[in-house]
Amino acid sequence: MKAVITPGFSELIIIVNPAGKVTREGLLNINMPWLCAPWPEAREEGVCEAEVEGDTLRALLTTLAEAYKKAGVDFEPINPRTNDMDEDYDVLVNDKNYVTIPDGLNAKLKDGDRVKLKILWRWDG
Amino acid sequence: MLDRDELVRYDRQLRIPDFGEAAQKKLKISHVVIAGVGGLGCASATYLVAAGVGHITIVDFDVVELSNLNRQVLYWEEDIGAKKVTVAQKKLSRLNPTIEITPVWAEITEQNASSIISGAQVVVDGLDKLDARLALNAACIRQKIPYVYGGVSRFRGMMTTIIPGETPCLACFNPEGPRGLGVIGMIPALIANLQALETIKLLMGQKPSLAGKLLRFNGNDFKFRIYDIEKNEACQVCSQGLLS
Repeated sequence: MKAVITPGFSELIIIVNPAGKVTREGLLNINMPWLCAPWPEAREEGVCEAEVEGDTLRALLTTLAEAYKKAGVDFEPINPRTNDMDEDYDVLVNDKNYVTIPDGLNAKLKDGDRVKLKILWRWDG
Repeated sequence: MLDRDELVRYDRQLRIPDFGEAAQKKLKISHVVIAGVGGLGCASATYLVAAGVGHITIVDFDVVELSNLNRQVLYWEEDIGAKKVTVAQKKLSRLNPTIEITPVWAEITEQNASSIISGAQVVVDGLDKLDARLALNAACIRQKIPYVYGGVSRFRGMMTTIIPGETPCLACFNPEGPRGLGVIGMIPALIANLQALETIKLLMGQKPSLAGKLLRFNGNDFKFRIYDIEKNEACQVCSQGLLS
């Protein structure tokens, strides 16, 4: 499947097999430039594309992690120890948290699905 | 001017060529606000007092509870029920009586943040809520005071140094994240000591290491990850239009 990726403020917004042109939807700038490391053109163009082997949420996240690893960026949303989401990240599909959708990370993605991968901040003191 | 006792007390840091008497004198005339004296604030306050920062304001509205004692090392069993700022002031003053420590028993809000930080050279984050942090962040931007953010949970911590007009501020990111996840006590101590070190560098006039960078420490794999971060030009708090 094709994933069109929009780096946001503290997140990646990914549209699966979009029907039309994907824009930044009003997101003005990119303030975590390292999110663009695997796709330097995204800094200029605002969006980028990746080809994903497989059709699940897990396959998408694994492909992203591999792309970042190749670019020398430590970005691993699936924790290899637990095989589940790492606690530094959260992921939503069409605004629903992955834990609330059937099959969770193994859910099959459909054309036009909107995946939001968020980097979580820490607030306890 | 450093007196004889100060020359002895700070001897180990005075020996550092990049530090020396000049830096110690700068610390002596400095004022730092530590917002929150919980897990983060107990550690940063202890080391900044020990290092000789001349005036430290500690702010908190809480009292000591038994569940604080796994990480908030200024408080002991005998202190349960007492105001944190009162206990912290007493203990910190015993550590270094030459430091002026001002306790403020208050919750930081949009209404009082500006007056609390007024006159400080650096504000150190020891809070545990996003809304209070955003109020503090906005006040620091308005008053052009560097703000050293730190946050922790479980085995992990984060930190960045916000320099008004230069770096992104906390509001640039629409930050999200859960609270109340629990924490192992060494994590706030670790992050707070990095915050304290960054504060010392700022007071010395050195370039801070985490300005425009986000540090994430993961105690599960013991990795420090540092990422570049940039301003959100549309940020309602720190965008150029609002600063000027």
